[in-house]
Amino acid sequence: MSDWFERRVARSLQANVPLSGDERARRGVMDRVRLAAAEGHPVRRRRADPWRRSRNSILGLSLAAGIGGITTLSVVAPDARPAASALSSVVIGDTVVATLRDTLRLVRLMFDAPDARRVAVAGDFNRWNSNATPLTRENGSREWSVTLALRDGKHRYAFVVDGTRWVPDPRAERSAPGEAGRIYSLLNVSRATN
Amino acid sequence: MTDRIIIQRVLDGDVEAFSGLVDRHYARCARIAVRIVGNREDAEEAIQDAFLRAFKALGDYEDRERFSAWLTRILVNQCRTVLARTKRRDALFAELDPRWLEFSVAADLDEGTWPELEDVLERLPADQREAIVLKYADDLTYEEMSRITGAGESALKMRIQRAFARLRAMLQEVPSV
Repeated sequence: MSDWFERRVARSLQANVPLSGDERARRGVMDRVRLAAAEGHPVRRRRADPWRRSRNSILGLSLAAGIGGITTLSVVAPDARPAASALSSVVIGDTVVATLRDTLRLVRLMFDAPDARRVAVAGDFNRWNSNATPLTRENGSREWSVTLALRDGKHRYAFVVDGTRWVPDPRAERSAPGEAGRIYSLLNVSRATN
Repeated sequence: MTDRIIIQRVLDGDVEAFSGLVDRHYARCARIAVRIVGNREDAEEAIQDAFLRAFKALGDYEDRERFSAWLTRILVNQCRTVLARTKRRDALFAELDPRWLEFSVAADLDEGTWPELEDVLERLPADQREAIVLKYADDLTYEEMSRITGAGESALKMRIQRAFARLRAMLQEVPSV
């Protein structure tokens, strides 16, 4: 069955409808997606992935213990302050180390808030959880800091002061409006920025 | 950038990368949803819900299936939900006068769109309308359509055949020259 009637039906159904090019409608989709992301979506499927577990544990080990090794992890920081000198990865084998180096980069965030009782960072990397990633500071210091292991790409984040006040990073080069009137800072992590 | 790469970026935390999938697939989803649910407002809602569900379930997506087909399956389910709701809504109103369906075909074969077809599509049974839209608006194979709709391939072929018979009748087709 492929006569003129069928061809015309097909051509008509393949033609776009007015909604197809509606930018407002597309933005509406992304608005809802961002809200869902802030709620913790998408949820990663739990599946046996020993390689992923291995990488994570390796990273945790190297961050926690700073075991002497053969490769220094890459670092990019908004304030251009290198932190790599204090961190090195464990001796595992060239393949693992190379993959680790290409997959995750260490980013040190710093925030000047002498009067704050606690400071955390929330971003798309921790599903906007304002309790998941606290910053710490030395006794007597006015500066809070944290080191994150991030994948290449653009990340949005903000500091959360005393659990309630969302503050963009004053050292960030770029920012963008977010939900609920918040301003998020933008961080572009890539090999080229190291 | 392929769908697969975008999906991996989203799963790695780059939420904004999802807009690449929206931009790539929105027009196609609109073609499907508007024809299945019959109006722009309900179609827009079904599409938004479909993309949102796809985003939330992205961790469950397996790339042995085309992302477009996976998304279409979600979209069709959302369209069915919308249709079920609007059916209940429309039941509150008087039945339509069937005489409004008496169209005459303006046989302009060069036209890309066929307004009368859009109208009479609404009068097809939902399963036939769904089948013909998936087959022609999305250019799916019967195997993909079967996965999306849950119907067997032979049943789908029958629905298409019956849909064409009804469309021809409703559009008062003059035998082809």
